[in-house]
Amino acid sequence: MSWFLSWLSGAILYAAPILYPTLGEVVEQRTGMVNLGLEGLMLLGASISFAVSFITKNPWLGILAAIGTGLVANLVYAWLVVHRNASQLAAGLALMFFGIGMSALVGKPYVGQMAAYLPKYPLLGSQSLIFRYDLLVFLAFFLAPVVWFFLFRTRWGLKLRAVGESPAIAYAAGVSPGLVRYLAAAFAGICAALGGAHLSIGITGTWSEGMTAGRGFIAIALVIFSRWNPLRAIVGALVFGGAVVLQLQLQAQGIGISAFLMDMIPYVLTVLVLLVWGRGVRHVAPASLGRVYFGTE
Amino acid sequence: MKRAIVVGLLALVGVLALAAEPCLVVGMIIGGTKDDAGYNQSQYEALMTLKEKMPCVEILFAENVPEGEAEAVLESMIAQGAKLLFPAGFGYMFPALNVAKRHPDVIFMHPGGYLLADNFGTYFSNVQFAYYLLGVAAGLMTKTNKIGFIGGMPIAFVLGNCNAFHLGARAVNPNVTTYFVVTGAWVDRAKEVAATQALLQQGCDVIGSHLDSPIAVAQTVEAAGAFFVGYPSLAVQKFCPNAWITGLGLTWGDFFVEIAQQVINGTWKPAHIRRGLEAGFITLGEFGPRVPEEVKKIVLEYKDKLISGELQPFAGPIRDQEGNVRIAEGEVWGPMDMGKFDWLAEGIVGSPK
Repeated sequence: MSWFLSWLSGAILYAAPILYPTLGEVVEQRTGMVNLGLEGLMLLGASISFAVSFITKNPWLGILAAIGTGLVANLVYAWLVVHRNASQLAAGLALMFFGIGMSALVGKPYVGQMAAYLPKYPLLGSQSLIFRYDLLVFLAFFLAPVVWFFLFRTRWGLKLRAVGESPAIAYAAGVSPGLVRYLAAAFAGICAALGGAHLSIGITGTWSEGMTAGRGFIAIALVIFSRWNPLRAIVGALVFGGAVVLQLQLQAQGIGISAFLMDMIPYVLTVLVLLVWGRGVRHVAPASLGRVYFGTE
Repeated sequence: MKRAIVVGLLALVGVLALAAEPCLVVGMIIGGTKDDAGYNQSQYEALMTLKEKMPCVEILFAENVPEGEAEAVLESMIAQGAKLLFPAGFGYMFPALNVAKRHPDVIFMHPGGYLLADNFGTYFSNVQFAYYLLGVAAGLMTKTNKIGFIGGMPIAFVLGNCNAFHLGARAVNPNVTTYFVVTGAWVDRAKEVAATQALLQQGCDVIGSHLDSPIAVAQTVEAAGAFFVGYPSLAVQKFCPNAWITGLGLTWGDFFVEIAQQVINGTWKPAHIRRGLEAGFITLGEFGPRVPEEVKKIVLEYKDKLISGELQPFAGPIRDQEGNVRIAEGEVWGPMDMGKFDWLAEGIVGSPK
């Protein structure tokens, strides 16, 4: 039982930095935009929040900086896609490479430095090592149902999803597809940057280049895994976070399975989910996903 | 008037250039960043020691060089006049060897490799032997008799360090069990934190590691109030002032000076150079504030015995996890045997694969 609790504790902690970008990408894809730049946005959030937290000795300012960075960077992406009619895939990849390079540049002086951490709140008393979380963990799991409610139970959510299904029809119904996409991109940028910030000033307390280690891409896979549903995204993020923690815990308990084999768990699970749900995916995916909307004459 | 100033400046630059003609141009590339409080910082600090002790040497340095681009960067350093190059990452072995074949007049020194050429030598510290001391310290400090070791990849040198850590701890505390966890990457900070937490939850109260940089591990151990032993750079101590027992730093500065001198004098010969504590290739750090005097004394005694050669960490009989004898009675493994570990010693929990 104690073993299960410590696994659950770890799974929740490591789910949070993946849940943020996943939620953002769900909203963005619901408006018809695929954003492959999450990895870059996460890295930007991680390095800039760390730098600001280091300079000001205040992790909350680090969070604010991450929010601002994610917002601006992803609005640039939205501008390329919405106003300049750029290919979403190309713009996303450009954003990714920009984020990788820019975060390394910004973070350069802070490699091997210590910055102020986010404070941890122990849920089981100050002696317990498990269930000690920073505010970003709570926020992530609070945000998911809020996003779900917004998408599926409000008029705004309906308009947003309408843009993702058919921008032309949404436009005819009086919705501005461009505005909706900008707003969605702003939200997604903030989310991805928060996920990165959680890695640098929440979990590890350090910055190192490329520290997201592919989590931005796992998030894109999770959007499909969760079938564009924020609540299922929680499950997906827990499965991924849980797999990482499980494989390390099994090793620590001497269960002699190769670490490399264990590392494959998340990806094997994704393939399995795609196999099982694969036929349904086509019907769930927003119809205009990935298409350039040239406007309505 | 303007022209006179320009001519004057040019003349000045020319004179300065002549005066500053370097006695040797030395280049180094590393795969990470120079301030990682880990492996890359160790290499960079050695280069800086060389610069300090031989001011006539000109330094060329590039960090974050991917293995695929190593040849191009090394070539450009040679084009700038480099005659001694440190491709300072294990993965640069083959790219550097290719460049070495094209430039027989340039000397290459590669860390930890197993290949030699007429102008290509290798160097590394006898880390595994020194790591035994960290095990001794851990065995004396643990209250739970459980100590943990985090490795990046399950390669021979990592397994060797884990074995040394365990054997050292068992030498002073026969009840110790060592828990071995692999993250599967040399740098993945979030996973390193998760691995540390898994070991702490398992009851381990002393953590050692073999990663590019153990910063995240050190901070996690510090926050949990447990103990930490550092490797491969002593710079990690500032991340865990209270958890710090002691550590090992890779210290090659004086050796780099020696090599540069040999290259200038033309006496350099290709060889596998492996030295340890006795030659200053690796340094035992200072002790942390929570380490009792008695423990310090015992660790330093073991250090003296190691340096004098009286103590051989890998002297048989040593059994593996299945109980098979891997180092027979009377057999002693030396520095060049460290690449042969594909097993973990009896009493270690974890998988060597």
